[in-house]
Amino acid sequence: MLSMKNISKVYQTEKVQTHALRDFNLEVKEGEFIAVTGPSGSGKTTFLNIAGMLEPFSGGEFMLDNVNVGSLSDNERADLRNQKIGFIFQGFNLIPDLSLYENIEVPLRYRGIKAAERKLRIEECLEKVGLASRAKHLPQQLSGGQQQRVAIARALAGKPRFLLADEPTGNLDSLMARQVMELLENINSEGSTIIMVTHDQELARRAPRNIQVVDGQLADFTLYQNKSSDSVAERVQQSMAEV
Amino acid sequence: MFFHYIDLSWRSLKRTPLVSALMVMAIAIGIGITMTSLSVYHMMSMDPIPHKSDQLFAVQLNTTDDGNEWWTSDNVPLQLTYKDAMYLHNAETPVRKTASIRTAFTVHMNNQDVKPFLSSVRAAGQDFFTMFDQHFIYGSPWSLAQEKAADAVVVINEETNNKLFGGTNSVGKQIYLDDSIFTVVGVTKQWQIHTKYYDLNNGSFNAPEPIFIPLTLWEPMQLVSRGNTNGWKHENVTTFEGQLQSEMFWVQFWAELPTENDVKQYHDFLFSYLTEQGTKGRYTREKPEFNLQDVNEWMEYNKVVSEDNKILVGLSFMFLAVCLANILGLLLGKFIRRAPEIGVRRALGANKRQIFLQHLVEVSVLGLLGGVIGIGIAQLGLWGVRVTSSQYADLAGMDLTMVLTAPAIAIGACIIAGLYPAWLVCKTQPAIYLKTQ
Repeated sequence: MLSMKNISKVYQTEKVQTHALRDFNLEVKEGEFIAVTGPSGSGKTTFLNIAGMLEPFSGGEFMLDNVNVGSLSDNERADLRNQKIGFIFQGFNLIPDLSLYENIEVPLRYRGIKAAERKLRIEECLEKVGLASRAKHLPQQLSGGQQQRVAIARALAGKPRFLLADEPTGNLDSLMARQVMELLENINSEGSTIIMVTHDQELARRAPRNIQVVDGQLADFTLYQNKSSDSVAERVQQSMAEV
Repeated sequence: MFFHYIDLSWRSLKRTPLVSALMVMAIAIGIGITMTSLSVYHMMSMDPIPHKSDQLFAVQLNTTDDGNEWWTSDNVPLQLTYKDAMYLHNAETPVRKTASIRTAFTVHMNNQDVKPFLSSVRAAGQDFFTMFDQHFIYGSPWSLAQEKAADAVVVINEETNNKLFGGTNSVGKQIYLDDSIFTVVGVTKQWQIHTKYYDLNNGSFNAPEPIFIPLTLWEPMQLVSRGNTNGWKHENVTTFEGQLQSEMFWVQFWAELPTENDVKQYHDFLFSYLTEQGTKGRYTREKPEFNLQDVNEWMEYNKVVSEDNKILVGLSFMFLAVCLANILGLLLGKFIRRAPEIGVRRALGANKRQIFLQHLVEVSVLGLLGGVIGIGIAQLGLWGVRVTSSQYADLAGMDLTMVLTAPAIAIGACIIAGLYPAWLVCKTQPAIYLKTQ
């Protein structure tokens, strides 16, 4: 479904080359819920951006649903992103002067979905995140947790095959974070594939599969279903110590 | 999607009302100034009779001696001598043609009801009305028989008819031109031409004459020209007859030549006439020189639109360019500040083209608003022209073409100014902004 082979990402300035990712290999199967952890600056977000086709990669092969992403133009990547991927950001990234309804409508408009179907999908998604009654509100009229739920509704509205979440609970208190996590778990249980970058070890433990990114590489690759989470923390600490 | 972009544009304008107002006013002022000068230019240069301007030809004959210079670009005099004009006027050629001369009379009704007034009068042939598309409210042009008989008949325009007869049908009624009684045979609709193209001698933008009489009355009434008379050699002209036979130029002549064949035949006719005149020793010139110029060529030849007017239009467009440069700066600032939102839109699936179009629609909305306000400013400018310059009074107005042109120019100009900012913002790399929002 998602396959990265020897992916590298180099940021080039006049004098310095920074390798954000190197020899990055990952296979993601349909329906997986993957937590990506790792120290700050390790390349987690870069990985997520490349997975979401938000930025190009420097080398390697990236296949998404049997489409070679490296061969696509910018506009083709935008179309593919619109059809296959939903984003959830740490900062919610709602457009402030659009209502909740209109925020969720944004990706659907770019996909060219007709108004009647857009309405159905938006109402369904708002219902799912428990904000159906707030459709006409502006983002700033909501709490952080509610805004993140709107962002999730926006990500879900396009019925994406992948949900990419970059620290979705990073700006939320623990109660709100748990609620958002439960929402993501429900979404995953309905079949969506989720890749979530997080610093929160507790949340990471709740994901069936954990991967760590250290120094731009996949430091570990283990299925943690029904396993003790301590080893994850230990490995992360070890990786961080190595860095 | 287009209407969605318009909705987004409107929200964007409301989000930054001060900057938006500045941009709209900048484009409005630029358009206002530009449209003021462009409207006057448009009126000056517009084809006064578009459906047949390529069929009406001003005739010029060079009956001066070889080596004689004139102020025209090809040294050919603008008008004809009376004897040449009357020869062409009376020639049995199968085309409409007319010589005409401007004169003037005191018009009165020989009673106390109407105050006498001085009026320009044109002496012309009966073809004049058909050739130059004058329409009649009452009556018709005088007949050929009346013209040949030099009957004292007159065609007056609507305004004169209102003044003398209160707008009623005056056909058959009589008016006085100086001390002579004339019978009204026709009343024409007010002639709406901005350029007096059939006679550019006494001000290209003067109003057409309100009264017309048969040219055949010129000799029996011994009328006096109130137009330009130009000589090129010493002639001792002391009598009316002497002026008619002189080599001075003071008569305008036009022919209507609907087909290329008509043009060619008339060309040959003029060639033969001038060759014959040369053979008679009337002037020393190796080969005949003459021009047949259609209406637009004639206006260009006579420099109806002066270089000053063209420079003024150029300067006003430069002013618009300065306004656009300011708008470009403001747009750059506004669009770049919006990069984080564009980053989100790109992440949600907007491609560069969609982002580019969204911003072009926004600058088009700005242009439309600026254009509409600019029309108001242009009206103010044109009013100023009308008040301060009687010469341009009839020209200082906007026709429908100009009213539609204003927003078109404004939108086009704003799109040009917005291309770079829109291109810059559509290149936004979404990843840069998503973390920083």
